Amino acid sequence: MATIIRARNLTKKYHDLTAVDGIDFDVGEGECFGFLGPNGAGKTSTLNMVCCISPVTAGELWVDGKDVRRQQRAIKSVIGVVSQADSLDPDLNVIQNLLSHGRFFNLPGDTARQRARESLEFFELQDRAQQRPDELSGGMRRRLLIARAWLHQPRVLLLDEPTTGLDPQARLLVWDRLSDLKDQGITLLLTTHYMDEAAYLCDRLVVMDQGRILVEGAPEKLVLEHVGGQVLDVHLRPGEKPQLMELLQAHQPDLEDRGHSVLLYGDGGRLLQERGTLEGYQVTLRPGNLEDVFLRLTGRGLRED
Amino acid sequence: MSLPDSGLRRPDGEAPAPIWRFQVRWPWLDYRAHSRNLCQVLRFAPMSTRSGLALQAIQDSLVWRGFRVWQRNRDAFRRAWRVELGGIAIEPFVMLVAVGFGLGLYVQEIDGVGYAQFLAPGVVASYTMFHATFDSTYGAYLRMDTHHIYDAMLFTPMSPRDIVAGEVMWGATRGMLSAVAVLAAAMAFGLIHSPWALLAIPAAYLIGLMFASIAMILTASATTIGAMNNFFTLFVLPMFYVSGVFFPLDRLPETVQAVSWALPLTPAVALTRSLATGEISWLALAWTGELLAFTLVSFSLAALLMRRRLIK
Repeated sequence: MATIIRARNLTKKYHDLTAVDGIDFDVGEGECFGFLGPNGAGKTSTLNMVCCISPVTAGELWVDGKDVRRQQRAIKSVIGVVSQADSLDPDLNVIQNLLSHGRFFNLPGDTARQRARESLEFFELQDRAQQRPDELSGGMRRRLLIARAWLHQPRVLLLDEPTTGLDPQARLLVWDRLSDLKDQGITLLLTTHYMDEAAYLCDRLVVMDQGRILVEGAPEKLVLEHVGGQVLDVHLRPGEKPQLMELLQAHQPDLEDRGHSVLLYGDGGRLLQERGTLEGYQVTLRPGNLEDVFLRLTGRGLRED
Repeated sequence: MSLPDSGLRRPDGEAPAPIWRFQVRWPWLDYRAHSRNLCQVLRFAPMSTRSGLALQAIQDSLVWRGFRVWQRNRDAFRRAWRVELGGIAIEPFVMLVAVGFGLGLYVQEIDGVGYAQFLAPGVVASYTMFHATFDSTYGAYLRMDTHHIYDAMLFTPMSPRDIVAGEVMWGATRGMLSAVAVLAAAMAFGLIHSPWALLAIPAAYLIGLMFASIAMILTASATTIGAMNNFFTLFVLPMFYVSGVFFPLDRLPETVQAVSWALPLTPAVALTRSLATGEISWLALAWTGELLAFTLVSFSLAALLMRRRLIK
């Protein structure tokens, strides 16, 4: 698999704040690559450097074999960006939004019109072509943003939290379309803090925190490595905690205290339950997921942004 | 999209490859490699490629990319032009009638012409200013800050400079439209006779470019939309009264005259008036030069400030 994005020791500083702190990653062509992390982890800063709207402070970043410091226009013409903020043009209708965007890429008029029609159909917006963006629902607006980014047939699509704020149906539709795009061989680069989204879409992902990459790998591999296949969730009733902790002291399982519940990772929890050690406690055995990995790696403390 | 690769850099981003005896390290030297490459290509290229390269050169120009942004504003204007019509056509018309004919009854002839005839070119220039500045301050700020349209443009090959160019070209177009409206009204009242007056239309475009560029400096540096109000009350309106729109400058004290000639509206009014009356002198070139200088300086500054605002 050819590498389409390569970052080496990539660093971004805003005055004295270090947003991205010397990260390395490679994104292969046709892959869906995710950046997972809490707010302020440096995901959006990284994405902004890839799409050349934020200069690199230090390190190297190559997109499609081009240096982001020098060949910005060339890079911008092969990538499509779906920003977190809704940047649809309220003064134009849906189809004009697309055509106007196509002009910035110098798409010839008839090509742009044809591509716009195809995009609208693909994102199930063809009946809305003459409406203004404010007349669309949140999910439709998001689909229109993706349709717009996809208009000039980019090789890489960058998505900054593509489903934040959408209802479950709208999210599913967006995921479905993004999977279709991936099947067409388009490289997807996305940031998210939805674990299910990352697990559903990403071939590979990195978990970031405070500007650094904590781990990198396929979602299922990360789950196996960091929390094991299964997690035993002990839900605590008031006053049960000291007692449980004392009980667990003897067994030394791989555990995490989450306040109102205690998680036992890997086989340790399952064995304890089978032996009946946890009799009387409210327990749930479930498969491990990315959320466990994420909370485990970034710490569960609530973050002030 | 871009010129053929100059071969200056290896694709893996190692140090620049030597092309002469020494290594080229200064970015300003790149153009030599580019033009050398272009010349080589042109010499051996078939006709079809030559026209392809010409097209590419056009598409790589600031004016062309600005034109793309201009097209966006034109499309938006086409959807809303009925709302804008009052400001463009009716307001300057009312001004001409009320001040020119109403006030004009009490005013003696100026420089040998009736007051309305003296006033008309001043109204052309100042309404060009008003429309260009309105669009490039309130209009542009709304597009930039509230609607995030510049952010969306930056995700395409457009740069902040291209965006400013497009906004300025559009502001100038708005100014020119109002100039055409005033000129038509003035002609209908028989206030303009000289065929030179047709040149006042391209002159209005230049005046519009200048004021839109000045306005974009403010837009790029404003932190709230309220900052625009000061620009109008402290700069645009006072200038409107001391730049020779309503009376000849030689009636003013000499120091005020000196200040007035340093303001951008004064050469704009002078140029428009000389074209409208057909009394052309070499001074018209000097005024055009002053307008151009104001335009270039403010455009560069606006582009710089916009870059600092948008690229973080």
